Amino acid sequence: MAKNSSASTTAAKGAFGAPKEKTMTISAMRQPTLETLGLGTVLEIFKNGRLPAGAGELVDQVFGKAGDRGALVISGANGIVGSGKAMQLASRLQPFGVPIVALDFPGAPDGLGKHYPGLAKTFGREGAGRIMESIIRMSYNGHSLPPQLKGLKPRFLLEAIPEILDVKKEHYKIFRSAFPGLDIRSVTSGFPSSELGVGIAHPAFPHEISKIWEIVEPKPTAGTKLLWALGMVPVPVSDNWSFVLDVLFCGATLAALRYHQASNMPYWKIDKYFRKLLGANPFRAHDAIGAKGANFLTWSCLHHLGEQYGELFRPNADLDDRKETGSEYYPLNHFRPLVNWSMGPEEEEDFKVRTLGPLFQMTSLLLHEKRSHLTHINAIGELCAQFRRGILSVIRTEGCDAATKLVNKYHKLHPEAKKCWYPETFEKIGTPEWQQLYVNAEHDGSAGVITISRESYNGDVDAELNRAIDWLKKEKIEKVIISGDFHLSTQMVGADTADFYPALKDVKEGLCISRDWSKTARRLNDDFKVSVGYIGGKRCFGGCLELLLHCHYLVSVEDASLGMPEVTLPVVPGMEGCHWPLRKTAPEKWPELFRLLLTGRPVRAKDAVGWLVDYAGPVDACLKTVWKLVTGADHKLPLRKVNASPLKKLPKDTAQGAEDNAVEAGKKAILECILASCAVTSAEALLVQAKHSAGFMVSSAFHTGKIGSELKKMLEV
Amino acid sequence: MGIQKNMFPRARIPYGTWGSSYFPAWQASPLAEVNIGQFAAEAMNKVLGLRKVPKSELDHLITGSTIPWHWKFWNSPMLASCLGRRVAGCHVEQACATGLKAVLVAAAEVDGGSSDVAGVLTFDRTSDSPVGIFPERRAHRRTEALSDVWDNFGFDPSTGRSMICCAGNAARKYKLDRKEVDELSLCRHEQYFKAQASGFLAKVLVPFEVLDVQGRVRGVIDADTGVARHTLRGLRAMRELDTCITSGTQTHPSDGMACMLVTTREKARELSRKPEIDIQFVAKAEVRTSPSLMPEAPALAVKDLLRRTGVAMKDIAVVKSHNPFAINDAVFAKEFKYNWREMNRTGCSLVWGHPQGPTLTRLLIEGLEEATDLGGGYVLLMGCAAGDVGIAALFRVG
Repeated sequence: MAKNSSASTTAAKGAFGAPKEKTMTISAMRQPTLETLGLGTVLEIFKNGRLPAGAGELVDQVFGKAGDRGALVISGANGIVGSGKAMQLASRLQPFGVPIVALDFPGAPDGLGKHYPGLAKTFGREGAGRIMESIIRMSYNGHSLPPQLKGLKPRFLLEAIPEILDVKKEHYKIFRSAFPGLDIRSVTSGFPSSELGVGIAHPAFPHEISKIWEIVEPKPTAGTKLLWALGMVPVPVSDNWSFVLDVLFCGATLAALRYHQASNMPYWKIDKYFRKLLGANPFRAHDAIGAKGANFLTWSCLHHLGEQYGELFRPNADLDDRKETGSEYYPLNHFRPLVNWSMGPEEEEDFKVRTLGPLFQMTSLLLHEKRSHLTHINAIGELCAQFRRGILSVIRTEGCDAATKLVNKYHKLHPEAKKCWYPETFEKIGTPEWQQLYVNAEHDGSAGVITISRESYNGDVDAELNRAIDWLKKEKIEKVIISGDFHLSTQMVGADTADFYPALKDVKEGLCISRDWSKTARRLNDDFKVSVGYIGGKRCFGGCLELLLHCHYLVSVEDASLGMPEVTLPVVPGMEGCHWPLRKTAPEKWPELFRLLLTGRPVRAKDAVGWLVDYAGPVDACLKTVWKLVTGADHKLPLRKVNASPLKKLPKDTAQGAEDNAVEAGKKAILECILASCAVTSAEALLVQAKHSAGFMVSSAFHTGKIGSELKKMLEV
Repeated sequence: MGIQKNMFPRARIPYGTWGSSYFPAWQASPLAEVNIGQFAAEAMNKVLGLRKVPKSELDHLITGSTIPWHWKFWNSPMLASCLGRRVAGCHVEQACATGLKAVLVAAAEVDGGSSDVAGVLTFDRTSDSPVGIFPERRAHRRTEALSDVWDNFGFDPSTGRSMICCAGNAARKYKLDRKEVDELSLCRHEQYFKAQASGFLAKVLVPFEVLDVQGRVRGVIDADTGVARHTLRGLRAMRELDTCITSGTQTHPSDGMACMLVTTREKARELSRKPEIDIQFVAKAEVRTSPSLMPEAPALAVKDLLRRTGVAMKDIAVVKSHNPFAINDAVFAKEFKYNWREMNRTGCSLVWGHPQGPTLTRLLIEGLEEATDLGGGYVLLMGCAAGDVGIAALFRVG
């Protein structure tokens, strides 16, 4: 299936037409997303033994060297976007001594102060105080800048003022005349760079937390690389109206509004069906963001998209009205809904046509205009628009024909929306770009790396991982690293529990999931001469940890939190977590593994060396160690062999009693799974533990636990 | 005065855009514990959804109820918000005639040109009715409490007598026979069960799931709970509370809502599920009879109505009456020498209960649906209301 593409081919075009930089010869299933930031490939990171960019040097480039640091100015700093980003950037730039100037009108309500409690919660009062100290608040009248601003040497302006084109342009003019050469980025959610005359750095909500930024600039700049180096996720997109995120988010909202218009179904109930279908709650999201601002932004994006592309995007009367009134979608608390709504199968099909139909068509437009790397388009839906699975993944599952038919059915209901429909874009579903949305593989002819760009493991990741392994095998690669992608995935949180829903009612479904995912994990152990798992993010939990434990070696940054929180949910680990780590670990360390499994309490990687991980250290040391391990250089780390025989003399349960019945039942079930799967050979254990895991998912303890009840709430509308 | 043929020439009722909840007996369903106004508004939105009428079509809302409910001060506009359509409107209240009066007010709005699509939403919750505390400086207690449903059953301030006393008075005036009244009541119940078995009721009634504050389903309103399966022997054996009045020959309080649309002819064609059906308002009449003779008032109203329209009883396809007492129908039949078996063929409030506000709306909906099944014709709707009032209206289904 997968096509070999080479990251070193200078003639090849990047995802949006930008030429790729010449690098060492590395083949990849598809272009690594890191390359779109000008940061090379993932394999190069391991080869070089260091990250491709450092925050310190990039701060120097963007703000000037220490002693001559210029300021970051955020205008509209008391607004939802401005204040959130001021806090987020201040917390990251404060250690580098970059002053943050928060500029707003004198009468603007204090948006910055609202964030202080959250800041104190995260960084402590002292840390929060330091961050707040680095923010210099200034007022201006909209026509001229405060004279004292000059003394702070503004180097970068992040404009977060209202979405009014002329007002924005005037704003840039004022700044440019005062500070020629100032680097400016707009946080606009809709206006293209070509309209504004500045670059775009469009952040996703919630602004104080979300790390995603859609970036529009001719080529990756130091500012964008700095965002990456500060731990954020810049995503290059092309210079089109509303980029990617707001086509999807506003598009989903419009589809939901149109369904409301057609059916009268209340917004809250549409949200529930939308969440069941796709994962998002478009109306709740607007209310949560703040209906007044969000309604306006959604209207603004759709209005301009409508002007550009026609009726597919044209705001309806309901949104026109809400733009003016700022009214919320959900009823006030004292009017919590009394009358329920439900749908039969035919109505659900109609709902699907009316909601997925336009979204699929909008996606075809994104693809036609090559608005971003396909993995980006897919990930933006998941990371910023609450989609359970990215829109491309949903279309891929639907298939080209079915997805096309769905859009055609939508056109029967809305013939006026036919313009801007590019069904041919779906015909490429078989290409690696479509097939490897979450998992990529690269190799240099000798060693390979498999990168996972999704933080939770699901059926899509499992299938793509298998394809990646197949591709490397076909390429005759015997030494492999498995890692996050250093871009979209900043941690590994475990299995995506949404995939467990079918297993609630059918033990066979649970068995399939556990067995198949375990088989995939085993391939990391069986299919390569050397496999090295690398944990580079803040945490690695549950299914993701189980997966990586199957590698011959596991290397982690020293402060990463590693854990098996399944007992708290509760669920029985189904990717061999109940026996595989025990088989790799000396009996004297088994109590540590029991504690991990039966209490759910995580452990720092540096405290788990020798029984969970093989090496823990600073990032660069880890990268170098991984490369030594995979290339067979002198690494001095012993290989912890898997004991395939039945294990004897397992410790008694050393964990304390759990605080609630479901957790206690989970603990009991996990213990039973440990004992049963360790009592047989490793070959037999795969199925034994899968049966335990699946059996627990049909139990009342699982159904009443966190995951079970949450899944039912979400999917049984 | 000439013959009245069309009291609101511009107004039409679009066929099939209506709906009613079932009317569960008071205290016997989750409706006993909700803000009935909010419930009714949300239910109307759902009815319109089921009938494929976007609520955005509504430009006015006439609501009607008789029992105070929380936030009643805000009446129609608030209910329109609960329905999800911010339009203006007003609240109509005329005791048990409310369900018809609200329709007529809506028709007047359309006919006068101030509305093109007026919603009619009537409802009431007799369960747990509020108790009002009123300063009464002339009362020896200085402050009077009134339990809004129960106390009104028992005391008409104009006459000082109870509802049931009115019924006994009327039965005596018309020399009604207890046996005939029992037979009439049994017939009405049989008519209801026949309509239910035929699927007729499912065409006009909509089941609703009622949610609690956590959003969980608290219960389902899918039956006219309170409808009894009587036998003639059983009815005969019942204790007579007043002349010809037993618990089997009078209605019971219930909770519920009913709704419909009134619009222009053009819009009716657009919104109706059967655009070829044209439902017009012919005429209405209201009378007030002698003190404490309320059950005869509808018959007197019909007399006035037929006189003004020139329509004879033989011309009428469907006769529906709000009959809190079986004797209402017996009096009517006697006055018009009409076979009471030909009335209320799909059920009536004697059987399915009386939530007051929506009672006549549901009767009208049933009557229009029945006339449609019969291929059209006149629909006569009548009912009594507190204060010895009778109301009647004639509709033409063409």
